[in-house]
Amino acid sequence: MILNGVRCQFLGLALLLSALMLQAIAPFHAFADEARKDSGGRGIFVAPEYTGVVIPKGQDLSLDLTIKNKGKQDELVELKLTAVAQGWKANLKSYSYGITGTHVEAEKSKSITLRLEPDGEVPAGQYAFAIAARTQDGALTSSCQVIVTVEGKGEETKPRGVNIATSYPVLSGPTDGKFEFSLEVESKLGKEGIFNLSAQAPEKWEINFKPAYDDKLISSLRLKPDQSQTVAVEVKPYPFAKPGQYPIGIKVSSPEAKGEAELTVVLKGIQKLDAGTINGLLSLPAVRGRESTLSFYIKNSGSATLTNIQLLSFKPENWKVKFEPERIDVLEPDQLKQIEVVITPAENALVGDYSVGLSAESGRVSKTIELRVTVQASTIWGWVGIGIIILVLFGLVALFVRLGRR
Amino acid sequence: MESLYAVFRKEISDHFSSYRFVLLFALIAMVSFITSYMVGMQLRDNLETLSKTRFPYLMLFSTPGAVFSMVQFVAFFGPLIGLVLGFDSINRERAHGTLIKLVSQPIYRDAVINGKFLAGVITILVMLVAIVLVITGFGLSIVGVVPSLEEIWRISVYVIISLFYISLWLGVSILFSIVFRSIATSALASVALWIFLSFFVTLGAEAIANSITPIERQDVQAERVIKNIRIKEGLSLASPMVLYSEATATIVDPMRKTTGSIVFMSPLEQILSSRFQNPLSLGQSLIVVFPHATALIAITLICFAVSYLVFMLQEIRS
Repeated sequence: MILNGVRCQFLGLALLLSALMLQAIAPFHAFADEARKDSGGRGIFVAPEYTGVVIPKGQDLSLDLTIKNKGKQDELVELKLTAVAQGWKANLKSYSYGITGTHVEAEKSKSITLRLEPDGEVPAGQYAFAIAARTQDGALTSSCQVIVTVEGKGEETKPRGVNIATSYPVLSGPTDGKFEFSLEVESKLGKEGIFNLSAQAPEKWEINFKPAYDDKLISSLRLKPDQSQTVAVEVKPYPFAKPGQYPIGIKVSSPEAKGEAELTVVLKGIQKLDAGTINGLLSLPAVRGRESTLSFYIKNSGSATLTNIQLLSFKPENWKVKFEPERIDVLEPDQLKQIEVVITPAENALVGDYSVGLSAESGRVSKTIELRVTVQASTIWGWVGIGIIILVLFGLVALFVRLGRR
Repeated sequence: MESLYAVFRKEISDHFSSYRFVLLFALIAMVSFITSYMVGMQLRDNLETLSKTRFPYLMLFSTPGAVFSMVQFVAFFGPLIGLVLGFDSINRERAHGTLIKLVSQPIYRDAVINGKFLAGVITILVMLVAIVLVITGFGLSIVGVVPSLEEIWRISVYVIISLFYISLWLGVSILFSIVFRSIATSALASVALWIFLSFFVTLGAEAIANSITPIERQDVQAERVIKNIRIKEGLSLASPMVLYSEATATIVDPMRKTTGSIVFMSPLEQILSSRFQNPLSLGQSLIVVFPHATALIAITLICFAVSYLVFMLQEIRS
């Protein structure tokens, strides 16, 4: 560690020194250059972004070329490729067209693109390209050179034409879900072309192509040379497909070129819950302040295992609802579990119908059943009332018997 | 038993032939005509309320037409019928000297009071049934509603409760006619008691409730307001009119789930109870109003028992 630190320091010092030296030399160099080409405070300079480039076999490249006007007046600069290596096509371009000359304002610079394309197969080796710049009146000239080294091992030559790339080739999720892949389709054709999109998927699956961030369904794509576009692939699995891995082949083709990619969908089954009562009745009579019991079942009707099923209730505030058991840890597909629920209406609840919701929840699936709980008054006070009236009637009869017939 | 029947028949014929009764009955009939007509017109204008309810026939009785609904009208002015029928039943006989003649016949003394009370009750029943039938007829012809079986049951219960309510005032006025020798005194006393129990008890209940739990207008705490209302409602149950109107309103309106006028519900409870707009069954409605109905029937019977006791023990030959 310490050794490393020391070395780093040393390196930093060396860099600093060399930078200082360069700075010291630069003005002299510039002076000399200007002196040589001086003709009344004018000067142009052309230089590529990189003077040496290494590329794999079969690839083309674009380089930025900077033309600088060092003088105090605007210049019209003519550009020419003076040397082009054998087997290459080279041209100077702006964004969209070829260039032979440009106008550079005083003390400004301009960027253009140098495009180099191998004309068919080029063997590995070094290739030199030279560019010369000249003011229109021929007073000033500047030239530069680009060396391109082609590496030999680029054996796997890319299919010329279309390039498909995706960051997430494998998606997994529930069977009733929707899978959306994002594909980057890049055209390598030299000209504009229309590409057909097609997919190979298991039977009854639904596959749609969409532009990114748009809701249209597309089946073909128009791409300019070297343009790339993102295409969304929406996959809807067959709802009764078994859990497992499913490959989906995507083909992008035009008469000139063809590209393929493979996507994979991993299905984890459907999560589905069902709940209900055994006899189908969803009503329950209850007396206020007293417990009444109902049993209902929860069924896993999907194809995936459900875990940690919570039981919840939606009830009036002062009521009590208790589940037995309170939760279910694991429920296999097609398995059924019975649950007892004890509902106690509040002591001061009104008679009549109340709605009580019972729901089972596991992750993102849930099922709610709504019960109609009919609260009834207890009949105790009714009997007390009848007792009072009988008592009064009894008293009246006693009066009749004692006092009557006078 | 024969003597009871004789007194009963005589009293009935007296009731139905007296000008007093004819005037009163004309008044009642007119008001019930007007009430039911107004209700009918209103229901016909707002047919959507009629289509929403499952008991259109009962709405004829519970919808306030111009001023009063039928139910409210009986609650306010039904007692007057009872008072008018009974305030002079004993002391008039006494003043005319017919009571001694009556008792010197082979008629037991209890037959006199029993027959008089029974005749009053039957008269009231006839009036009530007549009014209900008039309204039913109006309902049929104006709105075209046919009562369902449950509605007929509910109206029958309503008629029975009303019968006891009016009979209570009949019993009160008979008691006063036994106690007070002067006809004017007994009439005034019974009217005074009626006004006191019907109108002043509710006012008094409010005053007492406010003095026990004063509600300032600035900080109204929910618990305080609830307590205030509980006291007020509890005390005003001393009024037979409150007992009667709470009981009949619940019987006539199956959607009403409590006899109280104000119900406190927490928000969720309110949402969940309004989820199903189902009416109560007749049995549940009966259980809800049972305490009220029991109280009414019991005080009616007790009132009659007291007047019976007083009459039987009274010296009447003087």
